[in-house]
Amino acid sequence: MNKLQSEKDYESVRDQVKKERDPERLLVSICAGSGCGAYGTEEVREALEKEISKNGLKRKVEVKVTGCHGFCEQGPIMVIHPEGTFYPKVKPGDIPEIVAETIVNGKVIKSKLYKDPVSKKRIAKEEDIPFYKGQHRIVFGNNGMIDPTKIDDYIAVDGYSALVKVLFSMSSEEVISAIKESGLRGRGGGGFPTGIKWETCRKAHGDIRYVMCNADEGDPGAYMDRSLLEGNPHSVLEGMIIGAYAIGSHDGFIYVRNEYPLAVKNIGIAIKQAEEYGLLGKNILGSGFDFTVKISRGGGAFICGESTALMRSLEGQVGRPRAKYIHTVDKGYRDSPSTLNNVETWANVPIIINKGAEWYASLGTERSKGTKVFSLVGKVRNTGLVEVPMGASLRTIIFDIGGGIPKKRKFKAVQTGGPSGGCIPEDLLDLPVDYQRLAEVGSIMGSGGMIVMDQDTCMVDVARYFLEFLQEESCGQCVPCREGIKRLLEILTDICAGNGREGDMELLEELSGTVSKLSLCALGGTAPNPVLSTIRYFRKEYEAHIYDKKCPSGVCKELFYYEIDEKKCNGCHICCLRCPQEAISGEKKKVHTIDQEKCIKCSICYESCKVDAVAIK
Amino acid sequence: MAEAEGIRVDIEAVKGVIEEKYNNDPENVIMILQDISARYNYLPEETLYVVCRELEIPISLVYSVATFYKAFSLEPRGKYIINICLGTACHVRGAEKIKETLEQRLNIHGGETTEDLKFTLDAVRCVGCCALGPVITVNQKAHGGLNRAKALKVVEKYEKAA
Amino acid sequence: MITFTLNGKQVEAEEGSTILEVAQDYNVKIPTLCNHKALEPAGLCRLCTVELFDGRRTRFVTACNYPVWEDMEVKTHSEDVIGHRKMIVELLLARCPNNEFVKGLAAEFGVEAPRFKLGDDDCVLCGLCVRMCAERMGVSAISMTGRGTDMRVETPFQVKSDICQVCGACESVCPTGRIDVRKIAKYEPRPLVSDWDVGLKERGAIYMPFPQAVPLAAVIDSEACAHIRTGNCGVCKEFCEAGAIDLDQKEEIIEVEVGSIILATGYDLMDTTPMKQYGYGVYPNVFTSLEFERLSNATGPTGGNILMRNGNGELTRPPESVAILHCIGSRDENYHKYCSRVCCMYALKYAHLIKEKVGHKTPVYNFYIDLRCFGKGYEEFYRRCQEEGTIFIRGRPSEITDQALTPKEEGKLIVIGEDTLMNRPCRVAVDMVVLCAAMEARKDTAEVARIFGIIQGADGFFSEQHPKLAPLNTAMGGIFLAGACQGPKDIPDTVAQASGAAARALELAIRGTVEIPSTIAWIDPDVCEGCMTCIKVCDYSAIEFDQQRGVSVVNQTLCNGCGSCVSNCPSKAAHVWQFSEGQILTEFDGIMEGLQAVGM
Repeated sequence: MNKLQSEKDYESVRDQVKKERDPERLLVSICAGSGCGAYGTEEVREALEKEISKNGLKRKVEVKVTGCHGFCEQGPIMVIHPEGTFYPKVKPGDIPEIVAETIVNGKVIKSKLYKDPVSKKRIAKEEDIPFYKGQHRIVFGNNGMIDPTKIDDYIAVDGYSALVKVLFSMSSEEVISAIKESGLRGRGGGGFPTGIKWETCRKAHGDIRYVMCNADEGDPGAYMDRSLLEGNPHSVLEGMIIGAYAIGSHDGFIYVRNEYPLAVKNIGIAIKQAEEYGLLGKNILGSGFDFTVKISRGGGAFICGESTALMRSLEGQVGRPRAKYIHTVDKGYRDSPSTLNNVETWANVPIIINKGAEWYASLGTERSKGTKVFSLVGKVRNTGLVEVPMGASLRTIIFDIGGGIPKKRKFKAVQTGGPSGGCIPEDLLDLPVDYQRLAEVGSIMGSGGMIVMDQDTCMVDVARYFLEFLQEESCGQCVPCREGIKRLLEILTDICAGNGREGDMELLEELSGTVSKLSLCALGGTAPNPVLSTIRYFRKEYEAHIYDKKCPSGVCKELFYYEIDEKKCNGCHICCLRCPQEAISGEKKKVHTIDQEKCIKCSICYESCKVDAVAIK
Repeated sequence: MAEAEGIRVDIEAVKGVIEEKYNNDPENVIMILQDISARYNYLPEETLYVVCRELEIPISLVYSVATFYKAFSLEPRGKYIINICLGTACHVRGAEKIKETLEQRLNIHGGETTEDLKFTLDAVRCVGCCALGPVITVNQKAHGGLNRAKALKVVEKYEKAA
Repeated sequence: MITFTLNGKQVEAEEGSTILEVAQDYNVKIPTLCNHKALEPAGLCRLCTVELFDGRRTRFVTACNYPVWEDMEVKTHSEDVIGHRKMIVELLLARCPNNEFVKGLAAEFGVEAPRFKLGDDDCVLCGLCVRMCAERMGVSAISMTGRGTDMRVETPFQVKSDICQVCGACESVCPTGRIDVRKIAKYEPRPLVSDWDVGLKERGAIYMPFPQAVPLAAVIDSEACAHIRTGNCGVCKEFCEAGAIDLDQKEEIIEVEVGSIILATGYDLMDTTPMKQYGYGVYPNVFTSLEFERLSNATGPTGGNILMRNGNGELTRPPESVAILHCIGSRDENYHKYCSRVCCMYALKYAHLIKEKVGHKTPVYNFYIDLRCFGKGYEEFYRRCQEEGTIFIRGRPSEITDQALTPKEEGKLIVIGEDTLMNRPCRVAVDMVVLCAAMEARKDTAEVARIFGIIQGADGFFSEQHPKLAPLNTAMGGIFLAGACQGPKDIPDTVAQASGAAARALELAIRGTVEIPSTIAWIDPDVCEGCMTCIKVCDYSAIEFDQQRGVSVVNQTLCNGCGSCVSNCPSKAAHVWQFSEGQILTEFDGIMEGLQAVGM
């Protein structure tokens, strides 16, 4: 591969790549994101390629293994272009029929189509599925079209054209002002305006500056960064090069979780290919600008998502944060000015450059611009990655795109912002999602995790769960975080075990105040959010636990028991067969009963009862 | 088990990795430890001393790093490392129950290794497969959409393979 | 300069200073725990949290590391701040409910019983020890390991560290007393002991030599100072408010031209360890006289309380009985034949002090050969001690043992000897024994004598020129002796001799010139071969070699005209003025002629 030496070289390669794409040729895109991968993409791909060569269709059909399509619930996903026929949950056994019918004959196999759980209708095309229909996919849009291991695929969708534009027709200041005007804010949690961050870093003292990509996505329940790095690594890389050009940096790092092996692999391939093309390294595209990127694999610590901890980790040290009274844009990695943005933020940059700051700023709300990718997970029908403009309401996301709550259960809350976020109750469902509004209701945007909870979720247990997480992930150096979280968790554990006492809620609130105000870094500073927001919105559940010694959701084992409702039980006997403790007795077609001595509250009967006769008492 | 006690550390190989792949640069200590861990499934004590000598940093720093990051263990681990995701999405979908089931099945607690050194059971926070919850990963391969029975099947599969 | 509001008052501070520093300048007390003058502020304990209003909103920041800026408003003791600080202390108390330091802290903050479950830790994880070891000592023998609630201060693999330099800095900064360097270091700590207190007391690597030292300035033990040994540490500099510590100071050799020199180098106390029969160094409660002197001194290690050692070597309780053994190494054929002259009197003083300080009924036994109370008022003092009930036994004990023969002797030291007045053997069981060790010449006497060209006597001390006619002089002109370097003597004698020596020196200084005898040597440079034989034989170091001319030259002020050089010069270049060979031969001729004339 020859290095591209100029703007012209790039254009000719791009045109060449585009020309090679035959619009008539069928393109079968199979999702190989980590989600679909776990459901068996590899087996499907093997079967498909075998079948295609068996039928002699190799010239007619191109098979593309792409990154995440977002609708992970339905994996493995197969989309056949140009029609855009969408087949979910494809198994190797389905392949012969798909090849014979859809690929050869161009017919849609109705039985294999996606069935909308709300309308119960079969839907053929990807764009018509409610999950996709409600979205506005500007960052994620290309994931389904690109083989992440092929740079040409990215170039074919005008990849790196923003970089070319920046290098040859924009000054650094112009790039920064474009980003400022676009209103882009950090997608990693804090929501700091990206343009201002870049500008401060550019103006900071010192000759050496660093840019970094935070791919240490640690928020449980959020995986958009993973999917972006796996599915479209070049867009992140392009964003970083543009950022480096704007800031005046020549060295970049991508700090990625080692738990994301595919992301590490794909970004590694992307860097290598970009270097071969001369899009990274010395004298990029002959512009005279140098920039190299190194990958640093994290050692598994949530706290390393915090900027100062991340930089210490990059330096080969223990990832303990330091006080940010002097910002990292002034003194960061190796005490030099450093700009750290997360994966999604970087991926937004080429889009802003290409489409213009004004266009970008037209999306979203007054102070939160553009789109945001959320990982919509938990007790929701359509789990997956959802990209919507800022300001979309929670109801739109959860019910229109997410399809609501499965199994006829009732919505209870949605948790946003990861462990440091808060739980938002039903009466706030019409809240437009942006940085301010989420903060107003006691939660945060965070990196965009959105975990839906239903009536079977105990909110005290959820608070306990998050505190448990945070206790494990607290670096331990400052007293309020280390000792405070431990005590918060201790009290919550007691409440969940039925040992709650009067005054516990007040003590939780008082201690939360100290932990949030006095902790050294944002982990401690936001740690009490799950406690405070659940107390604020679900006080009754706390009271039930503390005073009545009851867990209304049937989660805290000490505080409930299962009972079979005589009126509802139809004697189907399923519970009796499935009970691992043989605690259920009863003859077929007669009412069953649970022996409370034997019951271990494993919930199998509760989950398997078709008529909801097993009740939580 | 015999293998565990007799784990031989190829010190020259470790030195080679540190020098060739990581340039003897102390900033790379975390990745060096990851490579050692990938090879031995844990961090044998002597390798930490090799790292400290080669990188010319105090052993206490290497030890701090090794005990701070979750990816590292100073105890030998099993051939198959099962990570049960306890991320929020998996938690609300009942990951706790999967954990209990596997703990019973393998007769070990989270963080422990079976006596035959086949399996290590670890609870981790989010492997980024939230749509598949509850999820476990076995040696980084994800198995999603689990319930008790499916989880047991996954373990059985690896048991046979071992 | 930066101006801002501190607790409602306008204050000024230099740019770059922290809130804590400024508060200290303005006498505003902000509590701290993990802060240390010699370490970079870390902001871990959060106890120094203050309230900051930045014009838009109120925040809580740590005073120890927050840099001041123009127009900010800081409140160090707002209600919120005090409440949060109390909560921090409550959390620490719940962690370490049994630690005295934390309990004290809690009392200070008015925190009573914590509302949380009680732990039993002793470490507040302030990190001072770890930071001290890394930042100032450059060692990092210990570190913070693990994370979150599992975080601990420990050595790698909990194995005793072989890189720990046993400096004890970690221990010295630990507020809770949890750190014990013995548990960290592979090697045993070597305590630094005070020379002044003859090893009875430990001291730091930086210390006051003794309470009335002139000048009264601290000195640094260069062998123990971590900075001098490794280039690290330097913590003392942070604390010296006068800025008096100069760690780069080097020893220098100063040349001073003087007209006369008084040697007053003093003496050594004989080491009694080789005298195995007395068990010094074996039995912890056998002391030398100098040790006892410090024990009974108000500025000594016990503040003047006469105490004996317990099983751990600590000075804890007063003895119930004491034996004082005279003439240990003095008047002894095996050691020193001479009498040390001072022991009788100080032994009496000790007896008196024990009676006075420990109690008049405390039995004190003086084992003596002869009591030599020859000075003014000495005999009277001896009488007084007898009247006080001190028991005097004539006879030098043969042995001290702890082998009890009777239950009464159990746990005591038994002095075995002979009462020569009663002519019978005796055993005396006591708690403490004081050995009146001999005064002896300093170990470096021979070396000093060589340098100054003076003579060492058979007893090891410097020899005076003449015991009666010139007791202050040495054979070397202009060099005088004072004090115990010349021989054992007590304080009055020393003062008298020193005054005399000073007068001798002044005598020379006032005159300004030196009279030299006419009969001194001279080396004829035209004849001298430069063989240097004369230099070797000159007892007064009066001949130097002139490198340029290659000949020996006589220093006329040093030469005593003894003639050794003349008789030894192979080339006959050396002469003594007035005694040239020709003159002597002529004189000889004259004598012979005279003898002939009288018919002999």
